[in-house]
Amino acid sequence: MTTMSIREADLAVGKKKNYLNQTNTIWSWLFTLDHKRIGLMYLTAGLTLFFIGGMLAEVVRTQLLVPTGLIFHGTGTIQSSYTAYKHYNQVFTLHGIIMVFMVLVPMIPGALGNFALPLMLGAKDVAFPRLNLFSFWLYIFGALLAIASTIMGAVDTGWTFYTPYSIDTSTYVVLMVSGIFLLGFSSIFTGLNFIVTIHKLRPHGMTWFRMPLFLWATYATAVIQVAATPVLGVTLLLLIVERVMGIGIFNPALGGNPVLFQHFFWFYSHPAVYIMILPAMGIISEIVPTFSRKHIFGYEFIAFSSLAIALIGFMVWGHHLFVNGQSAELDAIFSFLTFLVAVPSAVKVWNWLATMYKGAIQLDTPMLYALSFIILFTIGGFTGVVLGALAEDVVLHDTYFVVGHFHYVMFGGTIIALLGGIHYWWPKMFGKMYNEFWARIACVMLFVGVNLTFFPQLMVGAYGMPRRYASYLPKYQPYMVASTIGAYIQLVAFLIMAAYLLHSLFRGKKAPVNPWGSGSLEWTTSSPPPTDNFDTIPVIGDHYDPYDYSHLQFDPAIGGYVQTEEHVGPHHVDH
Amino acid sequence: MNLLNSIHALSPSLQSLSRIAGDWWLPKGASTFSPEVRFLWILFFVITIFFTALITVLTVYFCIRYRRTPSRQHADPSPDHNMPLEITWTIIPLIIVMVIFALGFKYYMNMNVPPTNAYNIGVKAQKWAWTFTYPNHAVSSTLYLPVNRAVKLSMTSSDVLHGFWIPSLSIQKDVVPGRVMTIWVKPTRVGHYELQCAEYCGNGHSLMRSPVIVAAPEEFNEYLKAAANIWVKNGKAVPLSEVGEDLYSTYGCNGCHTVDGSAGTGPTWKDLAGSQVLLANGQTVTADYAYLKQAILYPGRKLVKNYGNIMPDFYNDFAGPAHTRQRRLNAMIWYINTLSAHANAASRPKVPNIPGAAPQASPAGGQGTTTTKTSAAANSPPLPAAMVAMGKKLYFSMGCNSCHTVNGTHLVGPSWKNLAGYPQALTNGKTEIANYGFLRDMIINPDQLIVKTYSPIMPAMYAAQLAGGAKQTKKLDAIIWYINSLSDRRSAATEPPAAK
Repeated sequence: MTTMSIREADLAVGKKKNYLNQTNTIWSWLFTLDHKRIGLMYLTAGLTLFFIGGMLAEVVRTQLLVPTGLIFHGTGTIQSSYTAYKHYNQVFTLHGIIMVFMVLVPMIPGALGNFALPLMLGAKDVAFPRLNLFSFWLYIFGALLAIASTIMGAVDTGWTFYTPYSIDTSTYVVLMVSGIFLLGFSSIFTGLNFIVTIHKLRPHGMTWFRMPLFLWATYATAVIQVAATPVLGVTLLLLIVERVMGIGIFNPALGGNPVLFQHFFWFYSHPAVYIMILPAMGIISEIVPTFSRKHIFGYEFIAFSSLAIALIGFMVWGHHLFVNGQSAELDAIFSFLTFLVAVPSAVKVWNWLATMYKGAIQLDTPMLYALSFIILFTIGGFTGVVLGALAEDVVLHDTYFVVGHFHYVMFGGTIIALLGGIHYWWPKMFGKMYNEFWARIACVMLFVGVNLTFFPQLMVGAYGMPRRYASYLPKYQPYMVASTIGAYIQLVAFLIMAAYLLHSLFRGKKAPVNPWGSGSLEWTTSSPPPTDNFDTIPVIGDHYDPYDYSHLQFDPAIGGYVQTEEHVGPHHVDH
Repeated sequence: MNLLNSIHALSPSLQSLSRIAGDWWLPKGASTFSPEVRFLWILFFVITIFFTALITVLTVYFCIRYRRTPSRQHADPSPDHNMPLEITWTIIPLIIVMVIFALGFKYYMNMNVPPTNAYNIGVKAQKWAWTFTYPNHAVSSTLYLPVNRAVKLSMTSSDVLHGFWIPSLSIQKDVVPGRVMTIWVKPTRVGHYELQCAEYCGNGHSLMRSPVIVAAPEEFNEYLKAAANIWVKNGKAVPLSEVGEDLYSTYGCNGCHTVDGSAGTGPTWKDLAGSQVLLANGQTVTADYAYLKQAILYPGRKLVKNYGNIMPDFYNDFAGPAHTRQRRLNAMIWYINTLSAHANAASRPKVPNIPGAAPQASPAGGQGTTTTKTSAAANSPPLPAAMVAMGKKLYFSMGCNSCHTVNGTHLVGPSWKNLAGYPQALTNGKTEIANYGFLRDMIINPDQLIVKTYSPIMPAMYAAQLAGGAKQTKKLDAIIWYINSLSDRRSAATEPPAAK
């Protein structure tokens, strides 16, 4: 195990078969059991849906350039306005459904988790490869059902499907909800698979506290996926039962209780917020130490804070119901727990900063995304704290402040981390480097665009503008215009990103085994890895530490990092 | 052009932007809650700015100070954990958030406990309009509030969720259908504000806004007087049709019914009165007075083809005392008649349009064609509105609604819709007409007779609450009146006997 052998692996990669070119029929992709191919298919499908959801967001922003609506507006009578605004309502509903259920929830576990998790464990695959494939196809069929419902009569309920409106509306709620039901099962199966994989397929020597933190985050996420998603499934089934059979569960006209729906819905959907943000935090916990070349600070605090967030996150759903007549006692308890869950998130931010302290920081694209994440997530987190304060929620509930807050967390947090993860693992996925210059430009543009889009939304929300408005009072216009300009800047950033990533796929420089100098196991196999992940089974010693960078040295000849002679890190043995 | 115009209109709003940024982004507060909300908001603001700035500065500083260079390839030695430090940065955020929690809770409880002497205003939310009712029976679509006086708002929704949200007064509450939601406020500054619906409610959600006027006591009383006395303007009686036109927007009828023949959620009112209407059940009826009245009071009974049964309940606004509610009904029907080329004597109310004048003769020469098959209910004397309202209240408060619907769908128990006066097949093989005695027995001795296909599971406890003294009997009768109001076959036999 010398520098030479790794260099040989690098040189040999051009001739060697890897998971991308092992077989090349369409069926070998569609029915593959290889976690890496399934991950790539998730990535492709997810980015396609992200593009659709993003374009819908641009439609929303364009509509709101003028107080009466630029795209959908009436022709003078109030009835014509109603008819026009219905289309706007359909657009923002679809934007929400696609982004939440088809991008934010499944993308990081499905695409990056699937690709990286077995590699980080030094394993050949996940514990149940067939279940993994099934889960991917459930995702596809769920998305297809949602698209079918959109073509037949796009739902206009908002992504929350609040009753009794979702029971009254004439749009295709049942079909859409069936699609989300399937997506839910896809999520459950992925979570189950990851839990078993992490329990059973860790290599000898990798104890729980020697796992990369991305695995801790994925594990905590998987626990929520398995425990909370069934509640969503049951809730949506009840909604279908009520719509199809007229059995009164949520509709007061039939003796039902509309607030019950809100409790059921948020019992899933609040933990779902942590399904979206925990894996994102896991990615940041990988990127920050790698690009600082310094051991992660407070490993155990970060690991336990993931679990704490997952557990407390189950008990805060009632903070979505502060103004709907819930008893003041319940309000107080939910408010208290909401503040508790803010603390472990704050702990992580300090730990990332302490990791950078005295590090050797290199601002490559993944690191730029990680820094964006830290700042945007801080704003998202603080605006969440003020929403948790009961008296403040009264004046901010259902306003654009809430919209700004969750976009800071969901876009500034999850999507930025997802993009950071894609840029981080891209060389491993495809064996190609991307253009670093344009990647940095796009990242900075995105940071500016996100702030310009969502900061004015915080301001206009505090000023009193309600969310889900197709038209608004003229005094809110300056904020709305600024926000829309921000959304256009984001669009340009994404177009640049698409261009250099496509360029990388076809013309990109060949990637070395370990371009960033990371210490976890996926960076010890070739880029891209062979179908079986490792040519030789990685054996890790009792001193394995994924955040130890002392044995890695940059080699300008291959543009990547290699292990020095006296390394104590992982090594490989022959079969 | 739309875009250009509004860019032109932007400059005054830019000035307002600079003003707002000066008041910590919040609208200028105008209630007793506003200063508290503003204080906690500023506290949050300062803490957020401080920590966000700290984190950003540290991030940027570290990136510059500890950047990787050809000569500096490795990190400086520094510990990878430090328990006291980590406990410190866990405890400090914990203390900060607990302070914010405690203040938020304290101020929230102030918002939740209305003073006992508060002035009461009723709020009705429907797709997509707000209607306000005052103690003097005035009804308005603008919310009038007296300054420096506690006001308690009791809010109901006739359809879906709505959100009552007045940013300047720092109050918000969802309006949940099937419940009475309350909120209170004490405005401290006169002025014009806006109420906006905050909970998504469908197509017209963003247009569900109402002006809010906080006024000095004398001015407030003037507003109320004007709103109550819609019948007289400048000392002269207003024609009913003109009052009806006002009510058309006050009650939000304009949300669904157009008056120019264009399509809407409900049938247009143009050329409706006196015309032939095709119903969902295939029948055709003439839109005469009786039909129009029924369509307003019991919208689901004779559903027009191609329209859903979604009209909110206006019964309590238009049925009852002749001098207020029934007068409103007649005003409304007069207005509908003025919109129609087919209007005739049969379609117009019996009272003259201009109070005091003689009834107008029908231009069609009195050949009023009422082909409507008048049901037994239409011939019955009017329902006692108070008893029906009381029965409806009991229906919810006693929990009848958990088993019995009022719209014809079946839950655990039989629906109350079209129950009174209809034959009921029983499990003992007999069939009985649901008249007063039957209904009474069913409620008081539920296990004695069971309607076919249902189970004997109705609680027996109602007997104690509804039988015995005069008070109990009144409640029972109220419920039976309510059941009667839901049936198109009510008759003297199904209605409770006159009070003893």
